[in-house]
Amino acid sequence: MSDSTRKSREQVVDSLHQVAAEMHNRMQRGEPPRMTLPVRSKTNISFDNRLGVFKYGKGKTVRDATKLGSARQLLRTLHITEFIEEMIDSGKSSTLREMYYISEGWGNGKFGSQNESNNLAEDLEIVTKCLREDFKLRPEEDGARIIGNITVEEKNRRGEWMTINCRDDVGDSGYGVPYNVEEEKLKLVDEDIDFVMAIETGGMFDRLIENGFDEESRCALIHLKGQPARSTRRIMRRISDEWKKPIVVFTDCDPWSFRIFASIAYGAIKTAHISEYLATKEATYLGITADDILAYDLPSDDLSKQDSNALEAELSDPRFNTGWWQEQIKLMQEMGKKAEQQSLAKYGLDFVTDTYLPEKLDGIGLGY
Amino acid sequence: MIRMNEAEEISSKQKQISISEFFEKNKHFLGFDTLPRAVITAVKESVDNSLDACEEARILPDIRVEIRRTKGDELELITQDNGPGIPRDAIENVFGKFLLGSRFHAIRQTRGQQGIGITGVVMYSQLTTGSKTHVVSKIKSDSSAVYVDLGVDTKKNKAIKSGEKRDIWIDDKTGNEVSHGLRIKTQMKAKYQRGKKSVFQYLRMTSIVNPHASISLVVLDREGSVIEEGDWVRTSNKLPRVVEEIKPHPHGIQLGTLQRMLREANDRKMTSFLKHNFSGVSPRAAKEILAMAEVEEGRTPKRIKAEEAKTMISAFQTVKLLKPPMDCLSPIEDLLIKKGLSKAIDSRFASTVTRSPSVSQGNPFQVEVGLVFGGDLTSDGPIEILRFANRVPLMYQQGGCLLTKSLEAVNWKNYGLEQPGGTGIPKGPAAVLIHLASTNVQFTSEAKEAVSYNEEVFEEIRKAMLEVGRGLKNHLKKDSQRKKAKEKFELVNIILPEISKKSSELLGREEPDLAPVITQIMNAVFLEEVLSWDKERRLSMCSITIHNYTARARAYTILAKWPESYGTSMEYNPKGGRKEARGLWAWRLDTLDPGTSTVLEFGISGLSKGDWNEADIFFRGNGEIIGATKMDEALLEEQRKTEALEAAVQEVRDNGGVSVRTDMEASQVLPNIDNNELGGPNVVDLSPSADTDWFGMEGDEQ
Repeated sequence: MSDSTRKSREQVVDSLHQVAAEMHNRMQRGEPPRMTLPVRSKTNISFDNRLGVFKYGKGKTVRDATKLGSARQLLRTLHITEFIEEMIDSGKSSTLREMYYISEGWGNGKFGSQNESNNLAEDLEIVTKCLREDFKLRPEEDGARIIGNITVEEKNRRGEWMTINCRDDVGDSGYGVPYNVEEEKLKLVDEDIDFVMAIETGGMFDRLIENGFDEESRCALIHLKGQPARSTRRIMRRISDEWKKPIVVFTDCDPWSFRIFASIAYGAIKTAHISEYLATKEATYLGITADDILAYDLPSDDLSKQDSNALEAELSDPRFNTGWWQEQIKLMQEMGKKAEQQSLAKYGLDFVTDTYLPEKLDGIGLGY
Repeated sequence: MIRMNEAEEISSKQKQISISEFFEKNKHFLGFDTLPRAVITAVKESVDNSLDACEEARILPDIRVEIRRTKGDELELITQDNGPGIPRDAIENVFGKFLLGSRFHAIRQTRGQQGIGITGVVMYSQLTTGSKTHVVSKIKSDSSAVYVDLGVDTKKNKAIKSGEKRDIWIDDKTGNEVSHGLRIKTQMKAKYQRGKKSVFQYLRMTSIVNPHASISLVVLDREGSVIEEGDWVRTSNKLPRVVEEIKPHPHGIQLGTLQRMLREANDRKMTSFLKHNFSGVSPRAAKEILAMAEVEEGRTPKRIKAEEAKTMISAFQTVKLLKPPMDCLSPIEDLLIKKGLSKAIDSRFASTVTRSPSVSQGNPFQVEVGLVFGGDLTSDGPIEILRFANRVPLMYQQGGCLLTKSLEAVNWKNYGLEQPGGTGIPKGPAAVLIHLASTNVQFTSEAKEAVSYNEEVFEEIRKAMLEVGRGLKNHLKKDSQRKKAKEKFELVNIILPEISKKSSELLGREEPDLAPVITQIMNAVFLEEVLSWDKERRLSMCSITIHNYTARARAYTILAKWPESYGTSMEYNPKGGRKEARGLWAWRLDTLDPGTSTVLEFGISGLSKGDWNEADIFFRGNGEIIGATKMDEALLEEQRKTEALEAAVQEVRDNGGVSVRTDMEASQVLPNIDNNELGGPNVVDLSPSADTDWFGMEGDEQ
């Protein structure tokens, strides 16, 4: 999504009013108020050929005031709308958590849990086709860390642009990605790298830095911190778009890691309404693959009940409906095993940087 | 009819049987086999005696139990009551010998049945600690109390009395002089234990089935600090009805008993022997029995041979006899069960039933069941089963008891309780009370902890369970309906107007008319009832509101169940209506237009505050009403038939019963029972029904 698709204040308020108008119009006709939403599950996502990512399909769900729970949701949605309008008018912003606490004063419109307020904010994004940034709502989710020879400009809280080189101007913890990585806040200025490697675990991120892998292989390292935050996925997408650099993803070998990759490369189910903005279709899954467990004879653990269920569910997830993924998942089911990134330490601390990664990168044409 | 010298009279009825030596050898039969059990048994014997004595003397019991650990495995037990006390000259007999009271020879429902109790405590104390039992007794007619120390000579079956004196008795709690009562202090080897089998649990259970009693417990350790205490205050001032003694019924007679009775009889003729010594035998039936047994009517009972007695026994089973009179039973009665349960258990719902008395092998019995649900009761684990035989808690051998087995035989899943595997004790936040009242409770063993199998009793309990089960099911269904209705009301009355207001504000538009929206959302008729207590008029009020949230006009007849019995009446009822069956009233409502509501109100007199806390509302008419049940006309018809039958039977019984009683009165065998209170909950409204001709049946003498 480029800047041209970002909406003006008036457009945002207008879209929000349309939600309220749907409810009001129905009541005027003597019908229970309601809100129409896409179904947010794996059964209702499909590959968008034009965008190259997974988006919500045509499945719709109606939330109407015939049940107490749904009626409360509608009332809360109206309260959020009012709250957002106030923030837009006064030039303020708030975190999702702050909004959850502010709702204490909304009487019957009060949220039951923070999860509920997060979901409702997402619902509003979906039906209005706005972004939560448009709503002046911030997550408190942890952005990624980056280390590598790239230079960005970030507008600090005094409104000044500061230039940061993510190798020379940062400490061991790297550059912290802010929650807003849009043009108005962050500019990608310069780079001297060949590719970007996204890493699931902090332990492996630190291992590669200690081994000097970023300089040796001329890459930028991004620590995903588990399931990556929106801003993490967005900055990868921008690096891919603006610098045309390949993105490789290095994770554990278990069903959850597969999902991390899917959310980066294909789009997450929860945010399928903005997949074209968050997902990087050029991203590649580097490892650890099920094959690797066999090929490198890695120490492995048995799959838990939850692991097996998750794998089974992935078999019917449209995002994994490719020959390669089906093969990997079935192989894992056969072995009944999973492995961590750090199991590579079986062969010594340098094995990952000296042997494993060069061999894997070579395999996808990124040898150095 | 309280007599001046009731204390003296009670004790004079007691006969003596020399079995003290037998006891010494068999103390395990009497509940003194383990240290934790010994103290429970001692408390039980003492408290049962107190309750029985108070009941006979028509005194509302105040009972205090104090247990203090003295040293090692020894403790001191003090029990005190406000009963009639024991006259000085009877103390030795009551405490020093095994007594088989009047109860052993007469048939009626009593707690103890054996009268062996309190002597056992004195003896156990003596055997284990070598100490005497201290007794303080005060009867109303004496000016001072008797203080005496007692032991037992088990060989001679005699009490050993010492340190006797007379003094004014000042209650150490209140500081007042005690006008009548009994205090027993004894030392014994025993251990106080908490939990399911404890003195606490025994007294808790006792208080449930004796809502007219106030019972307190304090347990102290050696240092004098409290380890456990309980205080169960009476919730009813109604003493259990005086139970009448009855003669044995021929159906329950064994050959040996008949022979003994024949030997001991003073009657000169067999006809009068049969009429005077048995219940249920009319003069005509006596003649028939003798004719069938080929025994001449004029024979002298003492001369009847064994062979003849045998033929009489079989004649007993063939000749049509009246049922034995039921006023020898003392049911707790549903309302009092509810009160008793509420005294000990905090619950949200109680369903109780007192079945009509029934007979098994000539023994009258009656079953009562109470079920409480919700509130403080825990939902994980099996429900609590509270078993009672003649108001005495049964605490041991739960699994082997008929009362438990009848409960397990019910499919509780149908009634809203979990029952893994479909049989056994159900799970859930519930407790079930089962009371068996009978002139002859059959136990599986001498220890009297489990009721033995009896087809008729089993069936009666099972039926009672189904009744309370249905009550629970209705309650749960109503609860969920009520919850749904509440949600809908909140939706249309609170949330929807806010949605309307907020969306209108945001858009700067007019608020829409919500009436048609509400009709669409609700699309049903709702009924809500509220029960309350009108302090001024002393009425239990029921207010029923019916909302028509549909698009069509509706017409209904509303029916309400109310606790109709002796002493209650439909005092306030501006909408009139009519009685449909016992405890069921119906009102025809005016047509209810869409979007309108109406209120129906009535008030019941004769109840106390809190007696009535759940009403059942039914309806007749098209379409559902949320919050009410569609009237099952077939069931109603059945109930009407049962009522007509019960009324007719009662009439016949009255008729026959009167003649039998007159006979007995004439012979001075039984005390006058003309003015007893027949107020059982299942006793029907006795207005004679003119269209039923039951006269001329067995037992009629005209």
